Amino acid sequence: MVAIAAAYELAPGRFPELSTEDLFRKVLRGALSEWDIKPSDIDGLLTHPSGTIAGYDIYFHDRLVTELGLKAKFVETLNLGGATYPAMVNRAANVIRAGRCKAVLCIGAGKFTKLKDGGGEMMARAISDPHLEVPYGTWIPALYGLLASEFMADHGVTNEDIARMAVSERKWAMLNPSARMRKDGPITVDDVLRSRKITTPFHYLDCSVPSDGGGAVLVTTAAVARKLSKQPAYVLGWGEAHLRGRCSEPGRLTDTGAIHSGAEAFKSAGLTPRDIDVAQLYDAFSVTPMVLLENLGFCKPGTAAKFVNSGGTDPGGQLPVNTYGGLLSFGHTGDASGMSLVTAGAFQAMGTAGPNQVDNARRVLIHGYGGIMYDHGTLILGRKP
Amino acid sequence: MRPMPQVHRMNELFFEGTARGELRIRVCSRCKGRSHFMSEWCPYCYSQKLTYLKVSGRGKVSHFTVCHTSPYPEFDQFTPYILALIELEEGVRMMSNVLDCSAERIHVGLPVKVHFETRGPGRTGPDPKDATKPGKADKFVSLPMFVPA
Repeated sequence: MVAIAAAYELAPGRFPELSTEDLFRKVLRGALSEWDIKPSDIDGLLTHPSGTIAGYDIYFHDRLVTELGLKAKFVETLNLGGATYPAMVNRAANVIRAGRCKAVLCIGAGKFTKLKDGGGEMMARAISDPHLEVPYGTWIPALYGLLASEFMADHGVTNEDIARMAVSERKWAMLNPSARMRKDGPITVDDVLRSRKITTPFHYLDCSVPSDGGGAVLVTTAAVARKLSKQPAYVLGWGEAHLRGRCSEPGRLTDTGAIHSGAEAFKSAGLTPRDIDVAQLYDAFSVTPMVLLENLGFCKPGTAAKFVNSGGTDPGGQLPVNTYGGLLSFGHTGDASGMSLVTAGAFQAMGTAGPNQVDNARRVLIHGYGGIMYDHGTLILGRKP
Repeated sequence: MRPMPQVHRMNELFFEGTARGELRIRVCSRCKGRSHFMSEWCPYCYSQKLTYLKVSGRGKVSHFTVCHTSPYPEFDQFTPYILALIELEEGVRMMSNVLDCSAERIHVGLPVKVHFETRGPGRTGPDPKDATKPGKADKFVSLPMFVPA
């Protein structure tokens, strides 16, 4: 059996004085001071491309190996966009199950590049076709806007419905001292609809908060995990799917790979959606947790908006979602975004989520996706092996 | 100048057509599968024997978003602009802009027809030899746009 033995997340913010490498070091210092381990206990490492050399450093693992003085049996620089961090837990679990490693450090830190600093064009080129899509003015919010238009047209979902997801996540952020938007106070559906128009159907408050930050988790054998933690978060299931790479490909945009990754994760854990007590669902925009609620089988197609409107995902709701504030209200930490889903999910399963703790969070589902819902990874954690 | 496409092996049949005022889809000579011009082979049977079909230029909006915010300076003067996916009558999806259409009028299912717009010379997608730099196109390229039918 494999478990997350420890988790650490920086409070996100804007740190113009810190480079991405500085942020990695800040995560390392914070994690190693809180966790009862030494770098010499770590025999595996997973990181993401740090973006520090020519905008895309695929050798970043080497720098961390040196920084920590590791003698590792397994290292990798991995990128699946927002699916990177749940996938890291899966990759680490695989090498531990195979008996190759005992303790794998999974780490991410990032800075969200502002639109006006070239972030809009850089990301458009990364995830849309340079010849047949980019010339029309693609950028990330607009590509999600296309996806949202399908979801809305199919089910008669309104702007008000979508905005309610942002309201739900802000309720959770109000409980979390580390959430960036907590200082702005609670919001209403009207507040979302009155905020600046970005690209339909999204207003400013439907979009995740550009931030800098990072976090880490330590994935170990169950035996090591029990030494480090009174209640480890056991890895119960995993599923993964990669079904498209461009929005112009044929097929429905809202029948995402989550349908397959979710089914596979539930099957491997021997569980069903009804067994899940908490869900952390990647939320680059307010609409995407709703799509995932349906794709993962928590809500029947066409019913997620009603579920969210009835308070189903709120504190005290039937299925608490993004219990730390999510990317929408905790913060989107650039290349490290998605780590917060894993750390917040692990804290829930470990019973250490503080004011955000959900009673009886026995099983936690974490779903990350990359691109415009192209790459999908579903991870299930639990209190019992 | 907004970014331009680069005409290359994968899409040359497409832009050869737009230069003549024709909208083309790709047809596989082996399985007859129809597709857009985003790979070097047929996405259905992987054949590289590909030809094209001149299409009517009519279709419907299947997905849309009205961009009120400009992603980078080249688009500042065009906001709000409509980014859309068009399902052509002949059964292929392509991305485009819908012009001459208000934010109130655009909807999923709106019938549209093609309208060619010339762009260039100018900046293109990444330089094929150095992806960190924009490339340059020294010729005009005709880009298919759509207007309400």
